[in-house]
Amino acid sequence: MLVTWAYHFRDSLMEKIDPRARWIFSLLFLFTISMYWDLRFLLFFFVIAWLWYFLARVSFKETRRAWILVSILLFSMIVVNTILSGGGAAGVVKGQGHPIFSLQFTIPLVSWNVNFNLTMERAWFALCQLIRVWAISAMFIVIPFSMDPRLYGVTFRRLGLSDRFAFSMDLAFRYVPTLARDFAVTLDAQKARGYEIERVEGGLITQVRRIAPLIIPITIGSILGGEDMVNAMDLRCFGLRPRTWIQETIFHGYDYAIIAFGIVLLLSTLFLHNVIHIGGFWVPAGILPG
Amino acid sequence: MNKKLWQFGTREVVFAAIGAALYGVLAWATNFLQIPASGNVAIRPAVAIPMFFGVVFGPIVGFIAGFLGNIIGDLLSGYGFWFWWDLGNGIQAMIPGLIWLSITDYKNVGSIIRAEIMVLVGIVVGMGLAALSEMWVSGTDFATTFTVNFLPVFITNAIWGLILVPILMVAYSAVQARSGR
Repeated sequence: MLVTWAYHFRDSLMEKIDPRARWIFSLLFLFTISMYWDLRFLLFFFVIAWLWYFLARVSFKETRRAWILVSILLFSMIVVNTILSGGGAAGVVKGQGHPIFSLQFTIPLVSWNVNFNLTMERAWFALCQLIRVWAISAMFIVIPFSMDPRLYGVTFRRLGLSDRFAFSMDLAFRYVPTLARDFAVTLDAQKARGYEIERVEGGLITQVRRIAPLIIPITIGSILGGEDMVNAMDLRCFGLRPRTWIQETIFHGYDYAIIAFGIVLLLSTLFLHNVIHIGGFWVPAGILPG
Repeated sequence: MNKKLWQFGTREVVFAAIGAALYGVLAWATNFLQIPASGNVAIRPAVAIPMFFGVVFGPIVGFIAGFLGNIIGDLLSGYGFWFWWDLGNGIQAMIPGLIWLSITDYKNVGSIIRAEIMVLVGIVVGMGLAALSEMWVSGTDFATTFTVNFLPVFITNAIWGLILVPILMVAYSAVQARSGR
């Protein structure tokens, strides 16, 4: 079984940006956009997020699975939350609203009365939700496709985490191919004994019964191998001195500019939100009936 | 050797890495397992691994195995990067690790029951925090967050955790007896 990372070198502008600057900007973006429910501002952030996405030169074919996952979750949340229950909209949208569609019926057998009212405000809120979550998703989905896994350890070290945590991170990424090979060997061995692990029918309990003979030997085998590694590292006096890293991260002028842009976005948002009081939920008057 | 609850020495560094890699690889390799008739919702039996690593090697190991393992699993599966769910997975595995020092015999029924209780608490707190973050990010209300984000993941994680963690504990007791650690 071959395990491959989503990342490969693309010679993109994104790969020229220091990973620390990328993390800092992405998190600043998340905090900033989370303060808006005004579509005019959200569209501005949406454009920034997609420019960021295209900087990575990642195709939609590669990110298809992630977008399917996001779309299913987003669809469920919007349908249940905004359109059916109106709960989230009630927290942000004030007042009764302007109805555009209503439906009343009784569910047979249980005699539950369903009184469903879709208002223009709720529908507009759903649109804002869509734009906001898509913008955040574009910002974060691109990370695994455009950031070299070898850089995660050193990046988090330079962001201030401890040497041990960063080393653990680095080690985990390097362990992945070994464990994938162990998984393949165990899977073949169990299949030879007659296990039908890949049969997907059956409930959860059936699947637990089917998966346990696979997970237990791999886990315990890895722990046994880990003991040898602990001994080897202890014998080499691991952790007595600060580590040096093969990969280095260097800030350039444009990295500082990206971080500064993120800080400006956040500070101006705080100002707009708390001093001028704009950026909250807004519906254009022109679309409201009557 | 004296153990401390929050110790993070060589042993913890190695087992946190192994736990994370195991969780990541097994989450990716078992993507074919899905809840019947639930669309694209994958159930991750590997979620029990960081919980088990928490119980056996301590809360920091559990946290890193859950946090980093979820990142690796998503990286391999091409699901993107979801910081608050990674953090939730870390917390979910860190909480069972809080009873690490009190367990000496992994076959003991009392130890297994305590581990099971902590697994459940870990899932409620970890997945609860991750699901609540959706209220902030996506603007959903509590009822929607509870039904769409929390409940499905709580049920599947609880089933895997409650069944697989005790099995792994019993299997580990044999390794522990051999290694003398």
